[in-house]
Amino acid sequence: MLQRILAIARNTYRETVRDKILYNLILFALIMILSSIILSQLTLGNEDKVILDLGLSAISIFGMLIAIFIGIGLVYKELEKRTAYALLAKPVHRYELILGKYLGLLFTLLVNLAIMTVGLELALLYTGSIGLGGHLRVLPAVYLVFLSLALTTALALLFSTFSTPALSALFTFFLWLIGHFGKDLQNFGELTKSAPVGWICRVLYYVLPNLANFSMVDSRSIIKTAGYSSAIDPMAVAGSTLYSILYCAAILSLSIAIFMRRDFK
Amino acid sequence: MKFGTGFSCLAIFIVCAALIKPVQDRLEARLGTPGQEPDLLYFSSPAVVKKMALGYDRIVADFYWMRVIQYYGRRDEADKRPVRYKNLSTLLDITTTLDPDLLDAYRAGSLFLSEADPVGAGQPEEGLKLLDKGIRAHPQEWRLWYDKGFIYYLFLRDYGKAGETWHAASRLASAPHWMEPLAAMSLSKGGAVEIAKVLWERQYRESARADVRENARNHLISFQVARDIWSLELLLEKYRAKTGSFPQTLRELIRGKALKIVDPLGAPYQYNPVTGAISLSPETKVRYLQVPDSYREALSVKE
Repeated sequence: MLQRILAIARNTYRETVRDKILYNLILFALIMILSSIILSQLTLGNEDKVILDLGLSAISIFGMLIAIFIGIGLVYKELEKRTAYALLAKPVHRYELILGKYLGLLFTLLVNLAIMTVGLELALLYTGSIGLGGHLRVLPAVYLVFLSLALTTALALLFSTFSTPALSALFTFFLWLIGHFGKDLQNFGELTKSAPVGWICRVLYYVLPNLANFSMVDSRSIIKTAGYSSAIDPMAVAGSTLYSILYCAAILSLSIAIFMRRDFK
Repeated sequence: MKFGTGFSCLAIFIVCAALIKPVQDRLEARLGTPGQEPDLLYFSSPAVVKKMALGYDRIVADFYWMRVIQYYGRRDEADKRPVRYKNLSTLLDITTTLDPDLLDAYRAGSLFLSEADPVGAGQPEEGLKLLDKGIRAHPQEWRLWYDKGFIYYLFLRDYGKAGETWHAASRLASAPHWMEPLAAMSLSKGGAVEIAKVLWERQYRESARADVRENARNHLISFQVARDIWSLELLLEKYRAKTGSFPQTLRELIRGKALKIVDPLGAPYQYNPVTGAISLSPETKVRYLQVPDSYREALSVKE
């Protein structure tokens, strides 16, 4: 079973790296990261903070675009081109196809994130104002971005199992957007005087993805002197990892259940 | 097999979904450790925000107004900021630039700005600027003139300016009949305490906003507390001058007199018979707002 999943993952990776959209997005991300060097000249002090803020945002936003634009077509394309029929005629289970596709895209994201992180580290190296510790502290930040992208990919894959790419992109993007306002939703629920609205907000807070869980490491934690410094909490990072695993597992199991009920006749 | 996989999917989904809540709660508790809250405002220029609103000015203004209410109303968050209400005036400026007709933003906003710390931003000058902006947009709106006089009178204690503002307001066609006597009283510079009480009482009765009414109520209760404590202090001094020491209890002090030894919300005042100090009890439900010491003479009951 594992071998079959890994084989599909390998092929998914090969397929995605041939996609032109991927290179365009990586190129844009790298240009943006490197342009931060020019932008940082416009600030007074804290040049490294500007580079980090812009770089980490670019990694997160372009990573999200890659996850959505490639994730939404993963299953849909296979069905549209009817390649899934040939695959499923072989002793390959539907859940193996879903898991393989998911792992393949995760690996693609990992490679892209690695490329963008190297770009960011080089930009930071160019200014030379943060030490080795600062360079190393970039890694937990990128790791958390990866966890958020794993969640976004799972959502894109879920929609891809039953909807068209355009609608899937829209649904995933809106969920990604809402995912950044989880705390506001909770606050609204606490402030409202209506008990049912409060209850609905509370339920939505837990049901919707909470992407704020992955933004705990930023330039303030990487450069200790940039504004109000906040140290990286390893237990919080572990908690975010567990949250991401649980949420992705729930979404993937839902995707598999939907995909298994689909009639390909 | 198909049934088995479906069952496994369901089981995984249920287990993971059930675990998400406790994990999220723990994570939140971990991340929400008390500390300083950065007070960030990414776009501080009303002109830039107006351009970015792409013509949806009114709805963006509504969102900014909600943000003002949250920014001002959430005291737990405000206490964590380095300066409680640093961005309040900017947020109100953006709101009223996007929607110059949002009367509440001028009226309640100027009050939020003018109230002394920790209730408000302690920036009455900013409150006046906001009202002036509102008056420029709505020169015939007597309420904005009235509020301007209110700030001059209560927060800047400039009775002359308050009187002039109310006098100007009284000439507006829509101004209520009581505006002119109010202006006259203020210009005569007499009865400062009485006018202050009348202003808070009027706000308590007439404001449509619950938080503004609550604030006015707190001010009125604080007036009563100040009157009680100052009157008792006056009586204590007389008692000491007569007997050479302070009485053991406040009850002993007020025997036969019409003074109160419990606050307006029912908690007895705290009294130290050694120092003669009188204060609110730690158990009190009164939210005391500082009453100016210059009101002491007028408020104290001389028994």
